[in-house]
Amino acid sequence: MQENLSSTEKIKTASDGLRGTIQESLQDELTGAIREDDQSVIKFHGIYQQDDRDRREERAEKKLERLFSFMIRLRLPGGFLTSDQWIAAHNIAGENSTGVIKITTRQTIQLHGLYKSKLKPTIKEFNKAHLDSIATCGDINRNVMCTAHPKQSAIHEEIFSYADKISRMLMPKTRAYYEIWLDEEKILDKKDEEDPLYQDRYMPRKFKIGIAIPPNNDVDVFTNDIGLVAMIDNNKLLGFNIAIGGGLSTTHGNAQTYARLGTVIGFTDTEEKTLKAIYEILTVQRDFGDRSDRKIARLKYTVDRLGVATFKEEVEKRLDFKLGEARPFAFNARTDYYGWYQNDSRQWYYTPFVENGRILDDEQVALKSALLTIAKTGKVNFRFTGNQNIIISDVAPEDKDLVNSILHEFKIIDHTDRATAIRKNSMACVALPTCPLALAEAQRYMPSLLTQIELLLKKNELSDEDIIIRMTGCPNGCARSYNAEIGFVGTAMGKYNLHLGGDHEGLRLNRIYKESLDEAAILYELDNWFSLFKNERNENERFGDYSFRKLFKQIN
Amino acid sequence: MLAEQKLKVFLGLISDSSNDEIIWMNGYLNGIVSKQNTHQAPGVAKNGVNKITIAYGTETGNSKKLATEFAAKAKKRGIHARVQSMDQYRLNDLTKEEYFLAVISTHGDGEPPAAAKKFYEHVHQNGFKLDKLKYSVLALGDTSYPLFCKAGEDVDEQLTKLGGKRFYPIQKCDVDFSTEAEQWFDEICKALSDNAEVPSVVNPKIIAKKSSGKKIHTGKLIAHINLNDRGSNKETYHIEIDAEDVTYQPGDSIGIVPENNLVLVEEIISRTGIDETTNVDYKDELVSLYTLLHKNLNITYLPERVVRQYAAIVEQDVVIQRIDLLDLLKIYPVKDPNQFTEVVKILEPTAPRLYSIASSPEAHPDEIHITIAKNSFIINNKIEYGLASAFLSHFDVDKPLQFYVHPNNQFRLPEEDKNIIMIGPGTGIAPFRSFIAERDATGASGKNWLFFGEQHFITDFLYQSEIQNWFDTGVLTKVSTAFSRDQPEKIYVQDKMLQHGKEFFEWLHTGSYVYVCGTKDPMSIDVEQTLLQIIEQFGERSKEDAEKYLDDLKENGRYIKDVY
Repeated sequence: MQENLSSTEKIKTASDGLRGTIQESLQDELTGAIREDDQSVIKFHGIYQQDDRDRREERAEKKLERLFSFMIRLRLPGGFLTSDQWIAAHNIAGENSTGVIKITTRQTIQLHGLYKSKLKPTIKEFNKAHLDSIATCGDINRNVMCTAHPKQSAIHEEIFSYADKISRMLMPKTRAYYEIWLDEEKILDKKDEEDPLYQDRYMPRKFKIGIAIPPNNDVDVFTNDIGLVAMIDNNKLLGFNIAIGGGLSTTHGNAQTYARLGTVIGFTDTEEKTLKAIYEILTVQRDFGDRSDRKIARLKYTVDRLGVATFKEEVEKRLDFKLGEARPFAFNARTDYYGWYQNDSRQWYYTPFVENGRILDDEQVALKSALLTIAKTGKVNFRFTGNQNIIISDVAPEDKDLVNSILHEFKIIDHTDRATAIRKNSMACVALPTCPLALAEAQRYMPSLLTQIELLLKKNELSDEDIIIRMTGCPNGCARSYNAEIGFVGTAMGKYNLHLGGDHEGLRLNRIYKESLDEAAILYELDNWFSLFKNERNENERFGDYSFRKLFKQIN
Repeated sequence: MLAEQKLKVFLGLISDSSNDEIIWMNGYLNGIVSKQNTHQAPGVAKNGVNKITIAYGTETGNSKKLATEFAAKAKKRGIHARVQSMDQYRLNDLTKEEYFLAVISTHGDGEPPAAAKKFYEHVHQNGFKLDKLKYSVLALGDTSYPLFCKAGEDVDEQLTKLGGKRFYPIQKCDVDFSTEAEQWFDEICKALSDNAEVPSVVNPKIIAKKSSGKKIHTGKLIAHINLNDRGSNKETYHIEIDAEDVTYQPGDSIGIVPENNLVLVEEIISRTGIDETTNVDYKDELVSLYTLLHKNLNITYLPERVVRQYAAIVEQDVVIQRIDLLDLLKIYPVKDPNQFTEVVKILEPTAPRLYSIASSPEAHPDEIHITIAKNSFIINNKIEYGLASAFLSHFDVDKPLQFYVHPNNQFRLPEEDKNIIMIGPGTGIAPFRSFIAERDATGASGKNWLFFGEQHFITDFLYQSEIQNWFDTGVLTKVSTAFSRDQPEKIYVQDKMLQHGKEFFEWLHTGSYVYVCGTKDPMSIDVEQTLLQIIEQFGERSKEDAEKYLDDLKENGRYIKDVY
């Protein structure tokens, strides 16, 4: 259909079921990198090649190649680990990577800084703990998200199980992962891994699915290619509203690209119908998505190009039923429940504050040691949230005191209670030095910027105000900065576009307010805005709604 | 020899010329002859340009990939292309370039890649002229950015401003660059062979001056880099010396007389109370005392024979053992400055240290590179550094350094079509860097297999980026590395030889030369044992026959060691 395929498309179809020449690349003694084409293929195995950009110049002078290392991201539908799995991840991180466990914005964890020789041992160890990294990157369905906190609904478990069902349904059929990393014998008959969904070309671009349980939109459901909104009546799951075409990544200077929130196209009332609908939305995108220009390849562009109605028609043509009419729903928050909470079946949950999702022992708090100690009791599970936090989960009432005493001992409770509202509502992506896309700092810079912003909020008596604030080092939007009340998008070292006017619930994107501001300019602007907000806000008006009213409402 | 007509002109010319003119002509002809002799590399285009430089500035690797592809292509056409990343490129070389291709991408707001920043800034400066330069630019970019290919355009413009001649117009490419880039290079190749210039007149100065004995050269240090990365247990320095008109061959070493630590020298002077400007008659030469102590004489760890003579001069009961001069002076002081003058006369000259040259006269003209490890050893529970390596590892760039060339006629490259195996762990890599660069620059057709080893891949892979380039362009046929401490069991070069034993023996048996450079014990011993094992095992020979086989190799100059 499309003749001018992008180079990545050619790599995918020529990859022999995502094998590429990864084996040869791993054996290359000359370089810590893998071959160029394999860098595209290996993403489908949940691995990115990166290099320490801080070290490029110095290493070049020393006639050494770039300091290549790899990031590996696990597949954890809905973000769940047992305590044994947490202990395994803790040990693997210490032995093979930088030691930091990073909770992502999609409810999973990733490790950074693995040298090439450590990749295979790492995957083998994860496999022993029944964990894999299949399809967590690349042009394929990524980690499936689901509202994290079990207190959100009495039937949380039932809805949460959809994340796993969807993930399984959309896994690639190739055995490449097992052959390359786990020494499984090569399959002889390639028919055994024929893939009716992905064929040999996979998706045109990454594909993201999330499930939200109203009224909490903690997963930013409308930023996904497919968003499912659970409809519950009287503790009974009625079904899901289905939204399509969300996605935040853009490219600076490319007017064809834009952030978009999902459009609700209908409702499904049974598991079978829901899964089928999801499957066929993927096949329509597979067949109609742009495969010549990766910058406009995501579902959102396909939906807008075909038109929502046409797209829906095409999906229904492939189903043996029509989608039902969407049900009414409302969100009022996008929050994690910090501290202790109980769910309907009286299990306890503690959410500590994890700045930017980085779990390590630093000078402020020994969070990593605390979590290990708690995991070793064997009395908890761990869940991850879309806001880069961890929930110490499923604690029986009789074990709560034990866990609580460990939290006290490591000063985790104190640390969480002391964190300000703005910090608890903040997110930042990885950015420098490892992310190849980063134009500016993010997680290394956000904490110190927040310290400045905290002072401004205090000055304006707004310290307790929940304002969602997010930073990304490039316009790709991993930390969903376009869907924040205050968004920073890096444009160059030390420079950020300031976005304002997004709502608190995740139903309205923000817009660029000023471009390429340095820190002084950011603080100057925010100080002004906070003081105006304090004086002019309506009762209970959120900061995002206020700035939207002031800036954009008239021109809308 | 000459046809009658030519002979007539020739003789006429001679009879018309003065004595000086005839001498000049003689030199000129010699120059032409010697130049022709050094250009025997086969496959070289006879009439076109046969040497170009391709410099790339890359962020994502595209420019690099193109540059290496171009070089491989050029090689097939008999054009030798030197490929270099702009961050590795020595900016001063630009004034010496003749045919120069720049492949450079553009990022963000019209900016060059980080790796090309210095180059980019350099061409934006004034104060130098590129009148020899003939160039063309391939610019990579992305049309979705407003300043498409800006960095390439800037470089193109600046090179003209600096006096360079654009022999082929700039080609700008969008993200799907491959077709346009290829066309551009094909056109370049065409232009290079069409525009075949008459070889420029050979400069009479080229006639090699035979140095008599040990000629001491003075060269400025122009680069001084610790090749090991942060966190390494090693410190290995790559040192570049500006060495115009110094003749050497790959395989040679240079000798350097290390200077003594100035703090030490000054303490000796103040302790003895002598006037440092005093001239001392040292071996029939009047030299200032300061110079002698600083530059010429060994004052540390004196041998017993010198200590004995010291005892005789000071007429004290000195314990005869190796000791530093300063310690001697502290324990058994001299009577007065005059007595110290006598002591100076019995001191011995500092022994020069020899370092294998790591550069190639063809690839790095007017320069000499060496690779030195900062040696540390423990004496009396104190960490001491080797005098020369400590001296050099602290040496400042731009300071003059004295050295001489120490020829090593054993350790020579074979004929250009012979295959070679180089085993050079640690600083043993030095002469092989010279070999490979030389073979690269001359377009030698023999295959080259390098064995390298160190402690850690990440921090200790000496000259990694150069080795990668040579592998990518095909100069290095095979590279085998052993990093001993990257896994639980230690792996050394000899283990890698054995791992590739079958192929190793095939190379040997088809006439390859084997070179070993590095530490004598245990490396070269282990390597030799393994060599025997390979001959025995893969050559299917008895132990005695294997030894005989190796002896024959030595006899025929096909197994050569430079170990220390």
